[in-house]
Amino acid sequence: MRDELRRLGRAKAPASLAEGLFEKAAEIETDAGLTFVVWNRRGVSAVRWATSRPEFERWFAASYRRPLRWVAERPDLSRFDLSRLTPFQRLVLQKTREIPRGEVRTYAWVAREIGHPRAIRAVGSALAINPVPLFIPCHRVVRSDGVIGNYGMGGPVEKRRLLTLEGVAV
Amino acid sequence: MLDFERMVLDHQDRLFAFGLGLSGSRADAEEIAQEAFLRAYRALLSYPEQRLRELKVRPWLYQIALNVFRNRVRGGRPPLGSLNGSEPSRERGPEETVVGTQEVVRRLAALPARYREPLVLRYVQDLPLAEVAAVLGQPVGTVKSNVHRGLQQLRGGLSDEG
Repeated sequence: MRDELRRLGRAKAPASLAEGLFEKAAEIETDAGLTFVVWNRRGVSAVRWATSRPEFERWFAASYRRPLRWVAERPDLSRFDLSRLTPFQRLVLQKTREIPRGEVRTYAWVAREIGHPRAIRAVGSALAINPVPLFIPCHRVVRSDGVIGNYGMGGPVEKRRLLTLEGVAV
Repeated sequence: MLDFERMVLDHQDRLFAFGLGLSGSRADAEEIAQEAFLRAYRALLSYPEQRLRELKVRPWLYQIALNVFRNRVRGGRPPLGSLNGSEPSRERGPEETVVGTQEVVRRLAALPARYREPLVLRYVQDLPLAEVAAVLGQPVGTVKSNVHRGLQQLRGGLSDEG
């Protein structure tokens, strides 16, 4: 009986164990600069600019508290992991995805389009926690009074830079 | 922080076998090991340097996995079933094709936890009695007698209590 127990101890972990544990990470060059992308089977789960891997790792560990590993693969940038968001936040981000490059919309427009015309501030809050900036282009949502509005990944200065890159006069 | 990826590579087979011995199911074993590693990762983020230096990784991981397992038994399935959209493997493992191993898994799962836990640590994980006692937080004498009684029950294939 001891031998059978010891044999059980030679069981090997399936590859899916580590796959489910680690998020994958890679740097990609975008026209906005060196961008760090994290993804899993659901899709891209985090995006951030950073100057180095250690800097990015520190930010990711503090914000997501999940392990990641660097891979040579490329993520599918059309699928997103929005599973940690509320249905309302997902609605806001899905609508924001539709705003074409070179154009902007207002927070009020997003609120109207998703059927919550008075929830303008809530739209702003949902965009502020967008886990996948750049790819869900929350920088294309601006204030109705002409003020550019805030931006999670570097503030109004970065938001203006991105929009200028895309040919929007701001 | 320690090299966490290295830690997973070094210990994943061990924790998986531990979960398999405790739960009797490969899918459960995979989830137990995953959750134990995630808890370990989060704990490591908050440990000060001194504690990291003194950390004995192997017994520490066993303790975490044991807690994960016990919580699952107590509270049903945890919310953290699938961590990131990946599914546990449904394939049979090579150990299942060995005649007698499936039977031992079945018999282990039928044992009361107080016998099963020390038996798995002692023989499936091949830990010395003192280390089993440290992981379980019990005196060596207690562990020794539970291992002995557990083996007897395993041979008989019956557990005389629930």
